Amino acid sequence: MRPDVQATVAFVVIAFMLTAYVLLDGYDLGVAAISPLIARSDAERAATMASIGPFWNGNEVWLIAAGGALFALFPAAYAAAFSGFYLPFMVVLWLLMFRGIAMELRGHLDSDLWHQFWDTAFWLSSALLIVLFGVALGNLVRGVPLDLFGYFQGTFGFLLNPYALLIAVFGLAALAQHGAAFAVMRIDGAPALRAARLMRGLWWVVLALYLGASAATFATRGAPAGVWPYVVPIASLAALIGLRAALARGLGFATFAASAAFLISLLAEAAGTLYPYLLPSFPAGHGGISIQDAAPSPLGLTVALTVTIAGSIAVLVYGSAVWRRMAGKVRVE
Amino acid sequence: METVLADRIQFAFTIMFHYLFPIGTMGLAPFVALYTWKAARTHDPDTANAARFWTKIFSINFAAGVVTGIPMEFQFGTNWAGFSRIGGAVIGQPLAMEGIFAFFLESIFLGVLLYGGRGRPTRFQAWAAVLVCLGSWLSGFFIVATDAWMQHPVGYAFGTGGKLQLQSIAAVLFSRWALWQFAHVLTGALLAGAFIVAGIGAYYLLAGRETALGKRFVRSGTIAGFIFAAIAAFPTGDVNAADVTEYQPVKLAAMEGLFETTGGAPLAIIGMPDTANGKLLDPIYVPGLLSYLAYGNVRANVKGLSAYAREYWPPVEVTYYAYHVMVGLGTIFGAIAGIALLALLLGRIFTARWILWLVMLIMPFPYVANEAGWTVTEVGRQPWIIYGIMRTAQGTSPTVNSGETLFTIVGFVGLYFLLGVLFLTLVLREIGNGPSHAAAADAA
Repeated sequence: MRPDVQATVAFVVIAFMLTAYVLLDGYDLGVAAISPLIARSDAERAATMASIGPFWNGNEVWLIAAGGALFALFPAAYAAAFSGFYLPFMVVLWLLMFRGIAMELRGHLDSDLWHQFWDTAFWLSSALLIVLFGVALGNLVRGVPLDLFGYFQGTFGFLLNPYALLIAVFGLAALAQHGAAFAVMRIDGAPALRAARLMRGLWWVVLALYLGASAATFATRGAPAGVWPYVVPIASLAALIGLRAALARGLGFATFAASAAFLISLLAEAAGTLYPYLLPSFPAGHGGISIQDAAPSPLGLTVALTVTIAGSIAVLVYGSAVWRRMAGKVRVE
Repeated sequence: METVLADRIQFAFTIMFHYLFPIGTMGLAPFVALYTWKAARTHDPDTANAARFWTKIFSINFAAGVVTGIPMEFQFGTNWAGFSRIGGAVIGQPLAMEGIFAFFLESIFLGVLLYGGRGRPTRFQAWAAVLVCLGSWLSGFFIVATDAWMQHPVGYAFGTGGKLQLQSIAAVLFSRWALWQFAHVLTGALLAGAFIVAGIGAYYLLAGRETALGKRFVRSGTIAGFIFAAIAAFPTGDVNAADVTEYQPVKLAAMEGLFETTGGAPLAIIGMPDTANGKLLDPIYVPGLLSYLAYGNVRANVKGLSAYAREYWPPVEVTYYAYHVMVGLGTIFGAIAGIALLALLLGRIFTARWILWLVMLIMPFPYVANEAGWTVTEVGRQPWIIYGIMRTAQGTSPTVNSGETLFTIVGFVGLYFLLGVLFLTLVLREIGNGPSHAAAADAA
């Protein structure tokens, strides 16, 4: 059953918002996850945190906005997914909160112990968040055991399967790379040099994990239909090669853009594998919550589309104006 | 424990704790904007200090609001999947709008306000402060519109499988209920903001430090506080009560502790509801006032709880006490703001220490009144999750049981306790450091 245009557009809207989230919050989560590797002194750690200071909150809004849009456009999927992943999702919420607290509070006291505590909380909660998001994405692609009413119970025993864990490790490597690319571009001084060095080794890890994860996805989901899932990997590989080339030439922005292109291609691949489902059933081949089942009414879609498009344009316009004003490098002081 | 009870406890706890911060955000944002704007235009160092000081207090408050707000957006899915399925196509809309219109505005421009320069605020930062204020109010509007729809559903149609579909987004966003409820909610927050500004000013004057700014805080806080205390009662409170009278009469009966249908119904100033025996214990009444407030006629008939089947009653005691706490405190705010305003006009306020003491000590109570007001609204809505359409007990998640929810309640309590302690420590530290220090620390 092919979904109609309307349902497909709604699916693309959600995919777009989640992609924006991964690209944007991805770099600040990535910077945080690698911060113990690139920042050695208190001042360097402060500069690393300051590099994302003005941005992380706005970046995180994409997750909240995507949650709202999913709620409006696909209420059945929103209801099933968040109640099904109840405990893991609550852990995600707590980590998001803890990470926010760490960033907001570190600077308020001038004490080494205070800084050490929040620095550790910052990188650990960020790295764990990436891992949990990876587990969630892995299980989304693999499918969940939906019952007749379209609900499921995602126990830890079910969710922590080898495939999802592989995707989680891959996600951690890919976002560490993305964060390192951002750090190279944004920080002035030793942390940026260490981040560039880290990327040279990490690139091979990302490549190996990408190939492994792709093979595992084909094995788990079976040969996908359509040409999309076969074309997108070419873009992924091209982006990875471009990243390597830009890194070797010391082109900060190009490296970051290539990393972003790589992430976009990965999410496009995941979306293509899911389509026409939002939440496929496990084991594969047993249907699931399709985007057609969950499809919104024409009016609901029109309103949500208008809001998303108008809102995103406005955010891009004033967001980039702010970016230009706040651009420049963060110094280690 | 019943699943729905655990879910309600978790939602009530997380939303009530979260709401402490939006009160401060919505209420202090205009003061931040005002001082930042003035500081950017004039070269007065005191104004710049005031701008920096309130921006700092605001940003701590904002951060706590953001982190405790994250779970709210997702709890509809985690704990209220049944409700989300049925109502999501309608209430997801204002929630998505809040994210994309309000949150981006607030968070991006707060970044500018905090990181866009040190020392005297720039024009760009003054604009940022105005936009942050606008964003925080917009956010409040979308949330109130969501709640208003659950109180008074409009602009929807029944679709397949009992799922509601959106029929008119304008009807949802701009219903009479939504607009007046928002006016009342915003007034409540502004009242709290004004009382905080006046209260901290009073503290500085009593402590004999930061006196120049302390006087300014007391002056602007008192004037604004009086205006908002008045608007909270009339017209906003009055219209909200009229809407309840018209659309949720059983809630009105519970708010007033009126068990029997009465002509010329009196208003109970105090009294304790005895639900088992259906009467109000030890009341003090103003004759005919309830009939007058509800229908503009001292002899009008007001329906009591006994006119409705017991299964449609909200929890009477909580609704009754929350309402009386809100109204009683509102009256006290009006009186204190009136006394302070009078003393200000007579030029006596800065020397009348007892008034400064009152202004300082009343500071936490607008928080109580705001929370009590929401308690009336939400507990009084029971047993409905969507008024007249869906019961709260039908709204829970079928795959989440009370054991899991109790576990996460424990998690939230622990995390929020930590957050509450840190929040208080940091705010008290800023107040202790004072506005002059705030700017000096920035310049260093």
